[in-house]
Amino acid sequence: MEQLKTIGRELAMGSQGGGWTGQSKEFLDLVKSIGEARSKAEEDRIILREIESLRRRIAEPDVPRRRMKEYIIRLVYAEMLGHDASFGYIHAVKMTHDDSLSLKRTGYLAVTLFLSDDHDLIILIVNTIQKDLRSDNYLIVCAALTAACKLINEETIPAVLPQVVDLLAHPKEAVRKKAVMALHRFYQRSPASVSHLISNFRKRLCDNDPGVMGATLCPLFDLITADVNSYKDLVISFVSILKQVAERRLPKAYDYHQMAAPFIQIKLLKILALLGSGDKQASGHIYNVLGDIFRKCESSSNIGNAVLYECICCVSSIYPNAKLLDAAAESTSKFLKSESHNLKYLGIDALGRLIKINPDVAEEHQLAVIDCLEDPDDTLKRKTFELLYKMTKSTNVEVIVDRMIDYMISINDNHYKTEIASRCVELAEQFAPSNQWFIQFSVSNNFTFQTMNKVFEHAGDLVNVRVAHNLMRLIAEGFGEDDEGADSQLRSSAFNIELLFLHSELEFIYGNSTHIAAKILNNILCNKFLKMVNSYLRILGEPKLPSLFLQVICWVLGEYGTADGKYSASYIIGKLCDVTEAHLCNDTVKVYF
Amino acid sequence: MVRLYPNRCQLVGSAFISGFLISLVRSFIIDYYLFCSFQIHFVILISRQGKVRLTKWYSPYQQKERSTVIRELSGLILTRGPKLCNFVEWKGFKVVYRRHDSIILVILNLYASLYFCICIDPDDNELEILEIIHHFVEILDRYFGSVCELDLIFNFHKAYYILDEILIAGELQESSKKTVARLIAAQVNVTERCVSLAF
Repeated sequence: MEQLKTIGRELAMGSQGGGWTGQSKEFLDLVKSIGEARSKAEEDRIILREIESLRRRIAEPDVPRRRMKEYIIRLVYAEMLGHDASFGYIHAVKMTHDDSLSLKRTGYLAVTLFLSDDHDLIILIVNTIQKDLRSDNYLIVCAALTAACKLINEETIPAVLPQVVDLLAHPKEAVRKKAVMALHRFYQRSPASVSHLISNFRKRLCDNDPGVMGATLCPLFDLITADVNSYKDLVISFVSILKQVAERRLPKAYDYHQMAAPFIQIKLLKILALLGSGDKQASGHIYNVLGDIFRKCESSSNIGNAVLYECICCVSSIYPNAKLLDAAAESTSKFLKSESHNLKYLGIDALGRLIKINPDVAEEHQLAVIDCLEDPDDTLKRKTFELLYKMTKSTNVEVIVDRMIDYMISINDNHYKTEIASRCVELAEQFAPSNQWFIQFSVSNNFTFQTMNKVFEHAGDLVNVRVAHNLMRLIAEGFGEDDEGADSQLRSSAFNIELLFLHSELEFIYGNSTHIAAKILNNILCNKFLKMVNSYLRILGEPKLPSLFLQVICWVLGEYGTADGKYSASYIIGKLCDVTEAHLCNDTVKVYF
Repeated sequence: MVRLYPNRCQLVGSAFISGFLISLVRSFIIDYYLFCSFQIHFVILISRQGKVRLTKWYSPYQQKERSTVIRELSGLILTRGPKLCNFVEWKGFKVVYRRHDSIILVILNLYASLYFCICIDPDDNELEILEIIHHFVEILDRYFGSVCELDLIFNFHKAYYILDEILIAGELQESSKKTVARLIAAQVNVTERCVSLAF
């Protein structure tokens, strides 16, 4: 009676078209209790208890195979929730040796989820995979191929490579398809060991089954990315395949939301974009089919828009063609004007690509772009900043950089902060309109530089150092060539304080490191300070200098006053003593001697 | 010479060098796996409450990193409003997500939605990935009959089998629903035969 009730509940729970789950009441209870757990701590407790009980039971001798299968599934569940179940790995490996398909599949599934390709247990599995690749049952072969995609690494490739290549000619298309993907994976892991087999990919491109052909596009894309010129002869084939797909000559099964094999179309468009880039002749073959797709695309569905977007990407990377560029610009307009955020995002991205070919395209969309900038959606904002970065000219650099700095101060993501910071600096470097702007930029940037300092302390990569370098060079160079300007700048004590602060901060961070950039930085600053010595000496005589300014002067003179040998130490000390007499009240100043 | 910060200098200097070296090595390792420029790095299904329903990792992530990833992404995605983009930028990658409410639960007014999240490289076609998610959901729907969160909770290993037919090694393997359904059915038939034999 109990058993019937259990079976009844199990059927009710999991049988909707899926077949009998074959799991015990215990597992269902476990999953239910996890579902009802009110906190992560409670969930953790339940799972840890489960893991303990499994650890005991799985080690028992003579566990029936089906029961073992369920234990393994429960371990997969535990690992998925973030706990360690490594004691069960060996049992999963043993299960792959089983003859029954159902148990073998579970074993393979568990093993691909538990292990990575550098695990010690892989050696035990390679033999099984080898055997299963030769099996008569195509489902077993498929399971073995799926496992091979995850678990075979550079060392074990030679063990399975010959069989996988043989399977490329297997009668079942599912097997051929997976063999292609497996071979692709091997190529990614170790290009050298598979390089002599690349012609196989070309052959599979002409396979009867569209699924296999579609799968072959993945490795071909990688190969073409690495070496475009060897594959230029395939342009015509790809174009003809794309044409057939667009004309709906593939089986209906590949239709998706009224579009003919859109995923395959997208892959082909990506490949053609690579092949046609910079090549007038190759691009010539592509224009017609691209025009057709633009016309036929359903812009009312997501997938239609995805294909349209891919077309725009293709158009912007191949040799320019006026009609296609117009069509692309029109589609971009539609994206930008739409209500959906996703489409606006794609529109901004497409605009960024089209600008590279024709900068005027951005003009008519300025309002839409500004709307996106003001949008509360962070993703859209960031994308728009990327666009602005591409759109910057000397006329609008100040506005754009100001905006970027404002945004940078407001966000919390450190990774993105430094990215924006380096962009700002690059733009300023490239387009800075005047020295005055430099100074202001540096002043406002000091605040941002302080935030960046925190990032520098934690991060450690090259980009940040370059940013600091550029920033300091800007400030140092932006000091003004003419003396008059220099004088007034000297008097702006705020600016000098910053300079000092920045210098000390840099010393603090890069102090003992032998980093070349830091050295260059210091050198630049030293040179600047040397030049300032003269001016400082002149100013010292004047009364009523702000004390902070005085501190700076004293420090600089102390460090660099005698550096170029023009003034003797005694002279400088004499001057400084005069100053101390005049400003007796300030102790800090004295420290700087 | 006035040394403003004598001690911290040396400390931070050496930390800087080691941190720099570590990140250099790490980026080298990651570059190795990003050899293919368009790849899916992982697929995560989480509930509205942030509970994990399914995870599949196509790039190397240690167990601890996985928990961090899930926590960070849950915080990022579950708080987004309904009208915003379905894409977020995260640590130099993009994550495309889609919320799924089963028809049955909506009718019963039960608020239990699933978020399907896929992590891709920044240059990939985001809308296409959104549609791949939809493709996966439609296949699950076909298999379970209007899939809801409960189905995935109790049959997560079946969902894995289905996912393995659609995506392999981080790439789209099969775009025909019919082919996937046929393969899964063939496998289930054999399984059922085994099970009935066991009794």
